[in-house]
Amino acid sequence: MSSVLSVDNLVIRYRGGLFSPRPKPAVNGASFQLAKGETLGIVGESGSGKTSLLRAILRLLPVESGAIELEGRDWLALKGDALRRARQKIGVVSQNPFLSLSPRLTIAEILAEPMLAAGGPQSPAMREKITGLLSDCGLPADFLDRRARELSGGQAQRVAIARALALEPSLLILDEPTSALDVSVQAQILNLLSDLKESRALSMVFVTHNLKVVAHISDTLLVMRRGDVIEFGRTEDVTRAPAEDYTRELLSFGRKAVAGA
Amino acid sequence: MPLLEIKNLSVSIPTPDGDVHAVRAVSLDIERGEIHGVIGESGCGKTMTGMAALGLVPKGARIQADRFHFDGEDLRENAVRLRGRRIGLISQDPAAALNPVLSIASQMDDVIRAHRDMPRRARRAEAAGLLAATGLPDPERVLRSYPHQLSGGMQQRVVIAQALATGADFLIADEPTTALDVSVGAQVLALLRKLVAERGLTVLMITHDMDVIAEACDRATVLYAGRSIETGPVDDVLQRPGHPYTRALLAALPDAAPHAARLSAIEGSIPAPRSTIAGCAFAPRCPQAMPVCAAEPPPERGNDGRRWLCHLPEGTR
Repeated sequence: MSSVLSVDNLVIRYRGGLFSPRPKPAVNGASFQLAKGETLGIVGESGSGKTSLLRAILRLLPVESGAIELEGRDWLALKGDALRRARQKIGVVSQNPFLSLSPRLTIAEILAEPMLAAGGPQSPAMREKITGLLSDCGLPADFLDRRARELSGGQAQRVAIARALALEPSLLILDEPTSALDVSVQAQILNLLSDLKESRALSMVFVTHNLKVVAHISDTLLVMRRGDVIEFGRTEDVTRAPAEDYTRELLSFGRKAVAGA
Repeated sequence: MPLLEIKNLSVSIPTPDGDVHAVRAVSLDIERGEIHGVIGESGCGKTMTGMAALGLVPKGARIQADRFHFDGEDLRENAVRLRGRRIGLISQDPAAALNPVLSIASQMDDVIRAHRDMPRRARRAEAAGLLAATGLPDPERVLRSYPHQLSGGMQQRVVIAQALATGADFLIADEPTTALDVSVGAQVLALLRKLVAERGLTVLMITHDMDVIAEACDRATVLYAGRSIETGPVDDVLQRPGHPYTRALLAALPDAAPHAARLSAIEGSIPAPRSTIAGCAFAPRCPQAMPVCAAEPPPERGNDGRRWLCHLPEGTR
């Protein structure tokens, strides 16, 4: 199986003050692979380094050492225009859809933006594509002329997912995509993501602090703590026999909430 | 007699477009020494119920109830006096509850001075003692600190110590762990349990998180569209839910389904807060709804302390 994303011994360190000692790395030698069509779950608490790792994968942060390969290419060597074009291979969905969707634009305009930015001409075909994207994400075409503030949190997150798919990325990065949503809406979004994974053979990186959510939908699981990767493996293996007490603690929190468990 | 007794509470807020029914019919009995969870999704009225008990409803809001009593006193007249004396609030975001420009010592002292007649030195010792009671390892260092020098979990412990400093014996905790990491949140819940056991506190825990209910609460009440639809001991409500909405909510949790299987999402959306509801509020989304459900208010099922509102006869699933 070919891997979409391969990270090898990645170290990220923020600069300390001029005279302060060198700080500990925010990510301390992370290594993992994501196979095509699979979902990687990254779990960690505040300060664990998961956001730094994500930013490095998005090339928003310099890395100290290590390598990142995206579809077999040296991702860290790309510069300028080549980087800009290659970035279209990655779609991003963030936590709060109301912060990531412009309040001034209609849903149609929001979904057209990535295509226009990539040089696509405004045409009836584009409108058709937008309608298709929206319906793939479970929203009817009459949403096209609405604005973000008229949507519920779940609907807005569907629009954000549709936008992330507009340029047909090979990798979708989801940063806490359900943390701002109610439980019943979270279930809808998780179902949508597994549908999209099937229909588009999407590879996904799903970052969250909620181990139970990500354990449900991911194929492989990576647990971070204080910059270190403390678990990485197939989800079934990690949840059945966690290597660390910390992972066990996260898994057992509120265990009896499930009827019959 | 329950410490907090609420029967048929409603809170409506008049607006130019009509009344917003934030709380429609909530009944809640909270016994002394229990942690009672109030669970529901956004807009179900859980926070407004807590705010009504604190006398902190928006200006112009109308509160009606058959009974709305705390320790025998009517909250409609006495909420403002009881707040901060007997009833304390722990809010979601401790960083917002603390003043960023004052040291913890001065913020603790403000609270103690307002409620107790003590000389300065004794107040300082009392503050250190309360911080120690919340499990903060070095109270003297915390007293010298400013909020930004403390972690989220430490800040929430300071907020809890402040609530204790007022002498309150009833705490309303509104999503006290939502802003914290899971492992830190678990520690804060364990602290609340310990305080309940050691100091005889009573806690109303408002949350959207079933895991928090399972971890920390003795009894729980489920709210939907401003109504309390089910109440009972936590194990009953979570393991043998009576109301179809409670069942649907539990079935939507990711750990209720096998790995990577589809989750059972609840179709549709909650009723608009300005609408009037004749029958059961969940009827339009309920997979087991019958014609009578939308037309008539559902009858009460179950028995003492274990009740839910549903047209379906007991035992049907």
